[in-house]
Amino acid sequence: MRFASSFQLGRLEASDQPRRSFDAARCEGGETMRSRCLHLLVAIALPVSLLANGQDSKAKSQPENGGDFSNVTSAVTKVPTGVILIKGAWSSASDSVTPVPEGGSVSNNVFENEYFGMHYALPSGWSERYEGPPPSDSGRYVLAQIRPADRNAKIRGNILITAQDMFFTPMPAGNVLQYMNYVKDHLPEDYKLEQPVTQTKIAGRSFDFLAYWSPVAQLHWYVLAMQSRCHTLEIVLSSQDTKLLGSLVLDLDKMTLPAEAGLTAGLGGGDAPVCIKGFASGDHVIARVDPIFSEAKFNPVPVRIIIDRKGKVKHIHFLSAFPDQAKAITDALNQWKFKPYLRDGIPAEVETGLMFGRAPPTIATQSSATE
Amino acid sequence: MLKTLRLAAAFSTAVLFLAGMTEAQTDPGVQSGNRGTGAALSSVLANDNAGILTFFNDGLSRFQEIETVSGGANNGLGPRFNSNSCSSCHAQPAIGGSGPASNPQAQFISSGVAPKDTMPYFITSTGPTVEARFPFYFNRSGSANTSSPNGGVEDLFTVTGRSDAGACSLPQPSFSAAQAANNIIFRIPTPVFGAGLVENLDDSTLLSNMAINLNNRFGISGAFNHNGNDGTISRFGWKAQNKSLHIFTGEAYNVEMGIANLLFPQDRPLPGEDGGGATGLTGLPSTCLNLAGGYPEDTNNPGQTGSAILDDVSAFANFMRGLAPPPTGSVVLNGATVASSSISNGASLFSSIGCATCHNPTPGTTQKSKITGSLGSAPVNAYSDFEIHHMGTTLTDNVGQGGAGGDQFRTAPLWGLGQRIFLLHDGRTTSLLTAIEDHDSRGSEATTVEGNFDNLNSSQQQDLLNFLRSL
Repeated sequence: MRFASSFQLGRLEASDQPRRSFDAARCEGGETMRSRCLHLLVAIALPVSLLANGQDSKAKSQPENGGDFSNVTSAVTKVPTGVILIKGAWSSASDSVTPVPEGGSVSNNVFENEYFGMHYALPSGWSERYEGPPPSDSGRYVLAQIRPADRNAKIRGNILITAQDMFFTPMPAGNVLQYMNYVKDHLPEDYKLEQPVTQTKIAGRSFDFLAYWSPVAQLHWYVLAMQSRCHTLEIVLSSQDTKLLGSLVLDLDKMTLPAEAGLTAGLGGGDAPVCIKGFASGDHVIARVDPIFSEAKFNPVPVRIIIDRKGKVKHIHFLSAFPDQAKAITDALNQWKFKPYLRDGIPAEVETGLMFGRAPPTIATQSSATE
Repeated sequence: MLKTLRLAAAFSTAVLFLAGMTEAQTDPGVQSGNRGTGAALSSVLANDNAGILTFFNDGLSRFQEIETVSGGANNGLGPRFNSNSCSSCHAQPAIGGSGPASNPQAQFISSGVAPKDTMPYFITSTGPTVEARFPFYFNRSGSANTSSPNGGVEDLFTVTGRSDAGACSLPQPSFSAAQAANNIIFRIPTPVFGAGLVENLDDSTLLSNMAINLNNRFGISGAFNHNGNDGTISRFGWKAQNKSLHIFTGEAYNVEMGIANLLFPQDRPLPGEDGGGATGLTGLPSTCLNLAGGYPEDTNNPGQTGSAILDDVSAFANFMRGLAPPPTGSVVLNGATVASSSISNGASLFSSIGCATCHNPTPGTTQKSKITGSLGSAPVNAYSDFEIHHMGTTLTDNVGQGGAGGDQFRTAPLWGLGQRIFLLHDGRTTSLLTAIEDHDSRGSEATTVEGNFDNLNSSQQQDLLNFLRSL
């Protein structure tokens, strides 16, 4: 193998010294020509056996630059596997202290969610293998996905805990009962209704219960929903084994929930602010500054805010936003001023929602949300 | 209700799963029977809109042309490329499909297409045809700089050493370094059968579907990617990053084959070749520019007549628009034809357990078409909602495109799945079961649905696999 042509030289350099080879390929004259051609001469002197190694050859020197042409194949820091580093629109908050709906987790076989005040000890032998996706721009949260820890066990089923922000729901429902009736009335044809929406008590709180099943899959779904902080909190149990489902419901009775949770939730019991749809509009707003976006994007940006007793924005939670959108909206909302909300004549904190960006699709005109 | 349930818990005779008592399910594999895939739409065959059949056949012909750098009948290849013909990658089971069983890229060095290059470590004769991307630029120490996203296509081959490429000499990207840094991902070709129907779905149809499907008990909530120029929904490519078939093919001609065209008029340097990653480079060397005698290398031909007037990109787009959707067909498993009842049962299971929430069997009906009759007022049985969904850590490739983040992918249309060889965005598997399993990971919207699949018994799972291979 002889290296008489520029093409062959090009290959040599591509293999061993990407950055230098790139310069060599441009050995066209000018001030750097001599040094570049010197690299060529050095390269020509390399033994043929090394050339045959191609791109797998070990680097002889550190690259002068990074880009696409690193030649270092050892002792490098690897990109971690299984980590989402490049995020699209994602959730974020103005502080890390105030609980957010997606902030719950399973630890020591207990699901805890501070925002909803939920404490649920998982049934024995069940666990959360994978946490869910980030909140959606339609206001849907996957709070926990629980399954039998042993995937080969005889017991098979799912426990899915979700929340739908009722400020942003695409469904024509203003409260949990309307929400559940909508679900019941729009079951896909694959399913048969087993139990229409009925109210029941679980863990001392009011829940709406709905059951349906798939004859072909022999799978049953038990759906339990309650309202909390202007969210529909939904627990979906599914399995082919109705006995198992029954026991899972019984197990839910051990769950603890905050005092204000229930069909008329959102009234600000305990430390929770009052949740009011549309509070960030109309006469409630004294001063308003619109965000200035540096780039047009086309996603809905649902935002929950907590307004303090003096009418200033205390906390901002982005369910789904690109970082530049979150910054622009934060800069704007920090300049907003509201009339303090009075409950029984006493100023109270208010939690409300705003939608920036493109309006999301809705199924039909939404009825007014529950205060 | 609790009282009732307590009784039910005590007396229920519901059947428990007895894992392992039934025979394990099997992916029937790639269906080899001729289903007629790759044919033109019926109205195209009928020449509905006079001349359109000529357009289709002309596009089909050009789709198969072998491109050269200069001096031939079809010039403009390179200086960097992944392949030299559209049909070399879009080949299975017919022209317009996905990657073939025998990877043509594996022959490019020995056959003189890229005579001086080194074969990337991941290209094999029986593996998928792929493009490669580095999610991040390298820093000077050779590590990936996760603060510096790259994500652009790193073409596998160069024209270096070709007799028709003059003095152009280029290094290949550092695939081995990328492997060492775990900084490389792959994409396989998306099939384009039925693509004209997808293109002709109105945004309002897709938005309506989205709103309806948000009413699900599976924890699924998608989003759309959008075209940055007009803000409408984009729908082609693994992340739905491309708006139209013209854009899709224009970009591919430029990026995959290195041919500058009316939509992408310059030869494309690698991401790190134009200054990205602080290389200090300013583009392709002059010896590698203007190899085909001017730009754009593909343009229209006003001196010609008929379909020959068109540029290649337009001809390709015409061909793709005219391709009929892939027909469904019977399924052979272990040498025997599967009962139709199994397939229909599998279709019902597919819907019942939630697969159809994203893989929507019919996301809508097309608008009226001015191109040809079959493209108008037609159902699009694509098994996709054309939304992008979070697919979690197992499938994430950490490449952002438009509004799609690193773990978001367009719901892959499943029509034609029965005859596809390589599955998922990077062709990592040929097994339907593995593909389904990989939907289940941290951060994935499909975890609960995958759990429902696991909750089926083996016979039901087999029905579902049979159904998928009937598509």
